[in-house]
Amino acid sequence: MYRVKTILKVLAFVLIGGLLHYVLPQHDVARITGTEVIRQDFSKWNRLFFAQPESGNVAFLNRDVLFINAVVKKTYLLGFIRREAEGQMVYRNEDTGWIWPPYFKFDTRDLDGEAKNLTSTSDNPKWVVITHYGWRNRFLTIFPNAIAIKPVDGPDVRVIPWFNIFFFAFMTLAYFFARAMWLQFRERSIDPLLEDVNETYDRVGERVSEKKGRISRWLDTWKSKGR
Amino acid sequence: MGLIRLLIFGFIGLTILYLIIGVYSRSIRREKLENKWKAMHPDGGDVHDRDAYIEKGMVEYQSGIRPKLILLVYVVPALAVLAVLIATNWN
Repeated sequence: MYRVKTILKVLAFVLIGGLLHYVLPQHDVARITGTEVIRQDFSKWNRLFFAQPESGNVAFLNRDVLFINAVVKKTYLLGFIRREAEGQMVYRNEDTGWIWPPYFKFDTRDLDGEAKNLTSTSDNPKWVVITHYGWRNRFLTIFPNAIAIKPVDGPDVRVIPWFNIFFFAFMTLAYFFARAMWLQFRERSIDPLLEDVNETYDRVGERVSEKKGRISRWLDTWKSKGR
Repeated sequence: MGLIRLLIFGFIGLTILYLIIGVYSRSIRREKLENKWKAMHPDGGDVHDRDAYIEKGMVEYQSGIRPKLILLVYVVPALAVLAVLIATNWN
């Protein structure tokens, strides 16, 4: 039982952690090298990792998707530790619309224009911070979705993830609030109910044993008495 | 359309949250009143007086500011959505 519980806990941790890692915004220090439009023919494997068509358009089997190519500064540990190494990254640039994930992004075309404006070469780099969510996976052909692009002075800029700080603070508060609510509910509603059930159970038990006593006493009267 | 779906499901979800928080808040208040009565009457006091006392306290609670503050459950997420909407699409 203990082992099953541990496995379930690890599984829940991995699932929730994975979901948060996919959905929460992350920041890349990058240099944009170009933008392009590519038609995507989704399969059932990677459809989930692309958004819906732009707000106001009709959904079709395939469609054109805007992409941003960039050279990014590589990091360790979710961006907390900087490295000197650089790598290629491709971002998709799609509306998230009204539902999921709740970025409410509608300015895909504007962002594309911004990216075009900030495109640069390695000789004369223009550094930017790209805010994005999602994963890059070459085997599934999925891309993180770029949310915002901000020009910065150089590659050594310090980015403070305010949203994530507030998000986790809020989640901690919500956890303790929900726990307090549950404890109150148990104390005031479930425990008295259980006490009631226990009392009734005891009373029934008493009556049964009393009855049994009467019946067995009556039966006893039929037993042959020692002559 | 997406916005209508968001409004409908958001309203349903937040209404559930609103009701749960309302029950919790009333439960806390009732417990407080019971404890106060116990402090005033260590021997338990009259059962009818106790019920009347608690009912009066609950009516006072209902007309106070606290139940209205729970309506913020609807206001705060709406403002959060608005803030994210502006932050994402601002140029």
